[in-house]
Amino acid sequence: MLSRVAYAFRETWASFRRNLTLTAAAVLTSAVSLLLVGTTFLVQRGFDNLLVRWKGDVQLIVFMAPDAAPENVAYVEGVIKSQPNVVDIEKLAYLDKPASYEEAQKLFVGDPTMLSLLTPETIPTQFKIVSLTDDSALLRSLADQYRILPKVQGVSLAEDEFEVISTLSGFVRTVTIVMSLVLLAVAVTLIWNTIRTAMFARRREIEVMKLVGATNWFIRIPFMLEGLLHGLIGGVLSCGGLWGLNRAWESGVAGFKPGTGVSSLVVPSGYVSGIMLLLLAIGALAGAIGSGIAASRFLDV
Amino acid sequence: MIRLDNVTKVYGADTVAVRDVSFDIAKGDFVFLVGPSGSGKSTLLRLMSRQERPERGDVWIAGKNVNEMPDSRVPYLRRSMGNVFQDYKLLSNKTVFENVAFALEVIGKPRHVINQQVPAVLDLVGLADKADRFPDQLSGGEQQRVSIARAFVNRPLIMLADEPTGNLDPATGEGIMQLLEAINRSGTTVVMATHDHRIVNLMRKRVIQLDRGVLVRDQERGVYE
Repeated sequence: MLSRVAYAFRETWASFRRNLTLTAAAVLTSAVSLLLVGTTFLVQRGFDNLLVRWKGDVQLIVFMAPDAAPENVAYVEGVIKSQPNVVDIEKLAYLDKPASYEEAQKLFVGDPTMLSLLTPETIPTQFKIVSLTDDSALLRSLADQYRILPKVQGVSLAEDEFEVISTLSGFVRTVTIVMSLVLLAVAVTLIWNTIRTAMFARRREIEVMKLVGATNWFIRIPFMLEGLLHGLIGGVLSCGGLWGLNRAWESGVAGFKPGTGVSSLVVPSGYVSGIMLLLLAIGALAGAIGSGIAASRFLDV
Repeated sequence: MIRLDNVTKVYGADTVAVRDVSFDIAKGDFVFLVGPSGSGKSTLLRLMSRQERPERGDVWIAGKNVNEMPDSRVPYLRRSMGNVFQDYKLLSNKTVFENVAFALEVIGKPRHVINQQVPAVLDLVGLADKADRFPDQLSGGEQQRVSIARAFVNRPLIMLADEPTGNLDPATGEGIMQLLEAINRSGTTVVMATHDHRIVNLMRKRVIQLDRGVLVRDQERGVYE
């Protein structure tokens, strides 16, 4: 058993060195496509951060001053609830200080200055309003109406912040997903072709192996391992690329003024590590698929 | 050991390579398959090692019908037979030792078995002192000896040889025949396809003659006609 494993690894390594140019092409294509897949995830996460406060079709947010008394809050709630034909009362949500603070942690992940200024005591609480109408003018007049209520710090309209980002996010998602898929398909095809070429180069050896009674799996495994390695190395390179890209982005974002909202586009490092693991898995899978197809189809050389 | 029952092999739509051939080869026999090029000798050898399957009839090896054998069992069938070819089929990037060891390595034999069996078989074929040479540093006769060593290192029940002397001069060819005869004496059944008159007449073994895919003669201690 040990000798078989040693044989498989030795052959994989030998074949790897023999087809260096094709191998490099396959590995680099995998790396670029996986980097794009990773970037897609990070960009989406950045957009999601921006949009987190508008989750659940929220169209209007009323921020209460940090020093608002419970009776002020109750009064504003009463005003909001007095218009059941415009406001969806069922979905009206009030985020108290701890909940608002928790949300801010996500929103300002890339803005440590902003985060350090916020404490659960100083943070404004908020009403998240889902309206029953899409009438822009009506929503704006509603916002104006809330703005003048006592202890209301401000009112944000989804229309102002959300829609541009949402449209942009959808567009970027479509473009990057399509590009990633196309590049991944190219990577699988290149790995497939590299393995096919490696098998063709060793057709005489394979012929002898079959004649002396090697099983098909014994012949296939080194080739499949080789393809798996192509994908995996591509995955490792893409992880390095993604790490570098994210660091550059983080330091770029740090240059913006606090409170501009750009800081929300920074993703937490735990998420980046998760995506890296995912890229390694996708790389290995793409390599295994490409080489698996080649090794099964071209064994009769 | 080997039995063919009414075997017919057709290539493409209508090229009949072997037509309704039947014979029986006992354990330990030495048989020549003779006939001109294209008479179906090589096809018969390929049918025996399941590199081909017949359109009709059955091929039995050591009591097993190889046509009905699942693909996954074919490698194990081939471990019981050694194959020798006119063009040797040696791997040019491997030494003599590695070429022979390769046959054991790919069927998963451990290193200590390889280190024991390969020198022994190289000694048998007279190449013990050339174990580290590469095939292109050897003469044709020596390359064929390596090929025989590779076929025999696993001590197969059957040795299938397709024109093993075809590329060799008469004296070298005789040396190869002596080697095959020694292997046969050790109990291995040898089936050899050839159109080398001289060797067939010299050896006086059983002769199965084919003509355009049809068996025309099966004779004990025969000669080439």
